Amino acid sequence: MNFFLYINRKIIFYLGITIIIFFLILIFSKQINQKNIGLNYSKSLLTDADISEPKFSINNESKKIYITASEGNFINKDEILLKDNVRFKSNEFSIETDKVIFNRNKQTAQSTTKSMFKSKNSTISSQGFNIFDKGNKIIFYGNSYIILK
Amino acid sequence: MKIICKIILIYLVSINVVAREVGETEITTEDGIEVFQNEKFYLLKKNVNIQSDSFNLVADNVKINFDENLYDITKLEAEGNVKFNSKEFGLNGNGNILIFEVKIERLKIQGKESKLITNDVQMFSDGFIEVNNLTGDFFIKGLNSKLINENILIKARAIDGTFTNDDNKKEISFLNVYDENISYIKNIDTEMYANKINFKKDTSIIELIDNVTIIRNDEKISGDYGSLDTSSNSYKIKSKNNSKVKVIIQNNEQ
Repeated sequence: MNFFLYINRKIIFYLGITIIIFFLILIFSKQINQKNIGLNYSKSLLTDADISEPKFSINNESKKIYITASEGNFINKDEILLKDNVRFKSNEFSIETDKVIFNRNKQTAQSTTKSMFKSKNSTISSQGFNIFDKGNKIIFYGNSYIILK
Repeated sequence: MKIICKIILIYLVSINVVAREVGETEITTEDGIEVFQNEKFYLLKKNVNIQSDSFNLVADNVKINFDENLYDITKLEAEGNVKFNSKEFGLNGNGNILIFEVKIERLKIQGKESKLITNDVQMFSDGFIEVNNLTGDFFIKGLNSKLINENILIKARAIDGTFTNDDNKKEISFLNVYDENISYIKNIDTEMYANKINFKKDTSIIELIDNVTIIRNDEKISGDYGSLDTSSNSYKIKSKNNSKVKVIIQNNEQ
């Protein structure tokens, strides 16, 4: 007798169903991804940012802190909301976060989003930060975690 | 069940990713950190927990001075409910304030019920306890100051002296004890009271000055000046011109 006649029909049925469902999921997920890409693309075209790829700096006697982000919006004459990939970088440290309010006049920066500070052999993660006194003083808010190597 | 196991596994892996590695120091705070770059210090605020391979410390707040970078610690000042321990150095203790100067290896613990316990010595005070690990000098000052080691118990308002390491064991080589009320020292078989008590290991002499009482077995001898030779375990007491040495011998064979 043919070997395939020994295989339970139920097993073949369920196996078939599983394969069909798998391919359906694959097709739908691709379609969803394409839609998302389309949405993101249209969003980027219709972005409400006042400045794209803004660049600023905080200067003091001994060092310069460069500030970059994906986009920025003016809140008022002095304050700018920096959004996405916000990065503070000096020779001694860097800080990364998602949102920062930067004051051009006072040379201060304030964030309430999760932040990661990195310097030589040390990292600080916190729930936000405040840079003032021309970058000399940095306050990290909330539950904070430091690793010293 | 499998899903639960996977979730637990992912959770454990994510914890391990965050946890400190060997050789690293991990610090957590509940109310943030203030970094003062020009002044070269940072403040760790509220329920601070410091964990490293050789040293653990918890305190309400901590100030850390650094040299070049944050990890380059020169001085640590912990305040409020300070508790620490070091398995590597065999010490633990607690107090209200702890100050540790890294380069000169000086540790100071202040406040009521301050305590410093090492493998060989136990120190207590309501004032402060200060130990210099490089020189071996120690100071204990304040109410309820007390030093205990294997052979000796000292109670006084002020105790200072020097430890030397003999066969990896801390021994007192020099000691100055003072209490305006009365200082107390007890060794294996003798109790000594005086306002001022000095000891030098070189001479093996314990010198007792003012309001001196020595109690050994059933003898109790009082005077103004006394000395006890720890090598021969003999002692003598003198008195000023206008007072006399008083000897009380108790008879316990009644």
